[in-house]
Amino acid sequence: MKRSNIRVAVVYIEGTNCEDESVAYFRHLGAQAEKVHLKQLTGDAPPELRRDLDDYDLLMIPGGFAAGDYIRAGTIFAARMRSKLSKNLVGFVKAGKPVFGVCNGFQVLVEAGLLPALSGVMTAEPEAVLATNDSSHYECRPSLLRLENGGSCAFTRTLKRGQVVTFISAHAEGKLLFPAQREKRILKELIDNDQVVFRFVDDRGKYAGYPWNPSGTTFNIAALCNREGNVFGVQPHPERCFFRHLRPDWTRQPDGDPVYGDGKSVFESALRYVEKRF
Amino acid sequence: MGERIRRRPLPFALHDIALRDASPNELAQLSDRMGLALSIDEMVRIQAHFEGLRRDPTEVELQSLGQAWSEHCCYKSSKVFLKEFIFPVQAPYVIDRGDAGVVEFDEDHAYALRIESHNHPSAIEPYGGANTGIGGILRDVLAMGAQPIALADPLHFGPLDYPMEKLPRGTKHPKYLFGGVVAGIRDYGNRVGVPTVAGCIVFDEGYVGNIVVNVACVGFGKKSQIVRNRVGSAKDVFILGGGRTGRDGIHGVTYASVDLTDKAVEGWEAGAVQLGDPILKEPLIQACVESAQAGLLDGLKDLGGGGLSCVIGEMALAGGFGAEVDLEKVPLKEEGLAPWEIWVSESQERMMLAVRPENVDSVLKIFDLYDVPATVIGRVIPEKVCRVRYQGTVVLEMDLPFYTGGPEYSRPYEAPAALPSQDLRLPREPQDYRSTILKILASPNVASKEYVIRQYDHEVRASTVLKPLQGVIGKAAHGDASVIRPRIDSWRALAIAVTSTPAFTAIDPYRGGATAVDEVCRNLVSVGASPHALTNCLNFGNPEKPDRLWSFREAVRGIGTTAKALGIPIPSGNVSFYNESTRGPCPPTPVVLGVGIVEDLRQCVTSDFKRAGDPVVLVGSTQADLGGSEYLRLRGGTAPVPSVDPMGLRASMDHLLRAIREGTVAAAHDLSHGGLAIAAAEMCLGGDVGADLKTTAMDPMRWDIQLFSESNGRWLIEVAGHRYDEFTHLMEGIPATYLGTTGERSLHLGRGRQWTSLAIPVMRKAWGEAIPNQVVVS
Repeated sequence: MKRSNIRVAVVYIEGTNCEDESVAYFRHLGAQAEKVHLKQLTGDAPPELRRDLDDYDLLMIPGGFAAGDYIRAGTIFAARMRSKLSKNLVGFVKAGKPVFGVCNGFQVLVEAGLLPALSGVMTAEPEAVLATNDSSHYECRPSLLRLENGGSCAFTRTLKRGQVVTFISAHAEGKLLFPAQREKRILKELIDNDQVVFRFVDDRGKYAGYPWNPSGTTFNIAALCNREGNVFGVQPHPERCFFRHLRPDWTRQPDGDPVYGDGKSVFESALRYVEKRF
Repeated sequence: MGERIRRRPLPFALHDIALRDASPNELAQLSDRMGLALSIDEMVRIQAHFEGLRRDPTEVELQSLGQAWSEHCCYKSSKVFLKEFIFPVQAPYVIDRGDAGVVEFDEDHAYALRIESHNHPSAIEPYGGANTGIGGILRDVLAMGAQPIALADPLHFGPLDYPMEKLPRGTKHPKYLFGGVVAGIRDYGNRVGVPTVAGCIVFDEGYVGNIVVNVACVGFGKKSQIVRNRVGSAKDVFILGGGRTGRDGIHGVTYASVDLTDKAVEGWEAGAVQLGDPILKEPLIQACVESAQAGLLDGLKDLGGGGLSCVIGEMALAGGFGAEVDLEKVPLKEEGLAPWEIWVSESQERMMLAVRPENVDSVLKIFDLYDVPATVIGRVIPEKVCRVRYQGTVVLEMDLPFYTGGPEYSRPYEAPAALPSQDLRLPREPQDYRSTILKILASPNVASKEYVIRQYDHEVRASTVLKPLQGVIGKAAHGDASVIRPRIDSWRALAIAVTSTPAFTAIDPYRGGATAVDEVCRNLVSVGASPHALTNCLNFGNPEKPDRLWSFREAVRGIGTTAKALGIPIPSGNVSFYNESTRGPCPPTPVVLGVGIVEDLRQCVTSDFKRAGDPVVLVGSTQADLGGSEYLRLRGGTAPVPSVDPMGLRASMDHLLRAIREGTVAAAHDLSHGGLAIAAAEMCLGGDVGADLKTTAMDPMRWDIQLFSESNGRWLIEVAGHRYDEFTHLMEGIPATYLGTTGERSLHLGRGRQWTSLAIPVMRKAWGEAIPNQVVVS
């Protein structure tokens, strides 16, 4: 598939607030991207505004505070999505099309059962939760992430395993938790399945605690994918380091890519995956 | 008194007020009882107007005048000074002066800027007050058709460790207020998706009784999407977009226009503080911006103070027309609101759109997609009259020039008999400079604000090129300004900085105002931005007291004179009077937000030292003006407040900007709180590299003056090592002193035989832990 034919839906509801930049960056890389209100996909918009999920090649759920996150991050968006779009979503994922959740979007994917999706494409109940940070408040800070994925993930294939990238954490609920009694088994399964994509590290590349791990997330997990690697959720924002000059310490780094930052690789990888596969 | 308020026999509550034969005393009682906050003179003027009409006003009319003529809405005490000193500061690139100022960014784009206060509601209900403060300032910028792209919050509290037993009855503890305000800003700003990129936090005992919470916003858009705050034609209809109207926020402006006495506190607590909803604001912003971009709007204005009662009349008259409104069409939160309550309610998240009939459907469709309510509630009429009906009954009919033409006063002002001394009486030189520097680093006004900054999302919209914290990841320190890149197809960017100078203003208000302009300009230049526009928020005491008004006038004169000399326009601003409690006035607090233009963001400079071995240069000259400084706050004594030399500053800024654009500058930091020693320490902390600096060139001045003076017009510069000759050449004619070089793991300061040395981890502990040790925000 040609890059210029790739159609990206960046889906939002009230309180989603990272859709504009996400659309802009997919377009910047040559894809067709549009901002789509969830109700345009669920048939709740006037006929001329309705959209069909099947017409898109990549689905993104961007960051923000969907519906205020007043219950638990991502819950309301996920519930609305599941109630009317489950069949289409399962079909979308089964077809191998990439699904991309950033920050609140990651929380939505977990709440919707699309991640980690150990027991099916979209589990009836969430298998994990993104809980309140250990600090008990919002954390906006640069994070260093080591790529752990061995190649299954469609969103990181332009990066090398072991490479450390800089993204921006900005969340109050980023602490990935599993049911305590099954945590060890689940972690092992995630590792065996190559589903752990990024883990937080410190400035020496070591797995470290706060503030390098901004939330206290289990096993320093910053990003997960499903078993097939086409559903990807990442807590820190890659789009906030899309360009070189968004990197927090760019004035200290005279060398490197003159235009882009680490975040671009995630967008680029996903588009290359679609180009190759479809 | 009751018999003067007469209910009409209608199915809803409507009262006529028998005003015409009331005595001045009865007028005062009426104003008080109805919560109008109008003076006897103003009531007499209203009485005369209705005598001329040979009828009594309705309560809707009287309440409307209470709103429209409040200090908050019509600037009746301040306008005379603003006209004299601020409004004449012009620049050809200012596009509009509406709810926000609109300024040209490039050929096709413009930015909007505005700052305002939210002091009284935040003192009563800090979380909700700060919430709606952010909400309100976003709407001011949105009202110009611009997309909000950045927020800034200058905050002022009493000391966090203020003894509970000293707290006046009914006053909330600074720690509680601080926690509530920070959480309120965080939870609203982060949810609504606009980055909070700048601010300052000042602690002083003077704010115990009356905190100062200012909120600022910068917006951006194509010139073609910028709209005016007025109706565009005699055919326009009014669409009320956004939230429902309720009893929250009734009489906010009137309580904001009196001192914060026990009675006012009760009024606020009874429901004058509004309820914010960022999750309605977020789609409301999108719907308004999209409508503006599609060219569907003739005019747009926000509903803030005074609610509908202010917005309709002001928009209609500004367009040269009048308006008719059907009040029962306004969507309500609850049943049973009286017409006057609907008309003056300050319920949040509402915008008024003036739309041509042929565009109404398109606008309603956009709002529908975003699930934001939008309702046609009225229309423009040719005659300059405002007429409001409720279920067919006319409840208000007033000439707009009278209605919106509030009084304007030239109130008396006079310098207080005794001003704080500016004689040079310094404390004895410290025996131990090391511990003095560490104490200043740990002073709450200087110490790291990371704990607060990182709770605000300063990165949303993915356009924050320079962050509020700058330096090595994990070790960053305060920058002078943040930089936002509003377009991904251009390297041109906006720098944003904010400053507040209460310590100087309390001693010398003229110099305090002037310094605010000087400092904010230096902040912008530090990152490589050319100062382009200013907006100011002036927080002062009761203007009916001549000494308070004198200090206000002096500060305004200082701001206006300096901005004019520098050629930087002030296209918007806000005045907040009556910042007085039973403890007296808060420190006079002028706050200035500056926006600068970065021509190529790739040339931006941050405040952190970059590497070892680079020359360090002090730009500007140092005097013994320690008045209002952190050093004297710590050690006692008196001294002159720093003066401002606008011509000298202009020259330094121009040269330094060239040096930055030529790439000869590795780091730049302005000298302010704590002077040279603290600026150097912050640069070491951010870069995690030390420096060895000798100040001998400033001899024979005492060493404490050299290190801690807060003289204006100065920067500390790390010169890119191999470009030193080029730098000195570019700075020719500007006072610049070579101090030493960067390197090692300590800040080493020396002069002759005096010296001191501070290891970076020791400084980081003192500076970094002071605030988190005192507060918990959740």
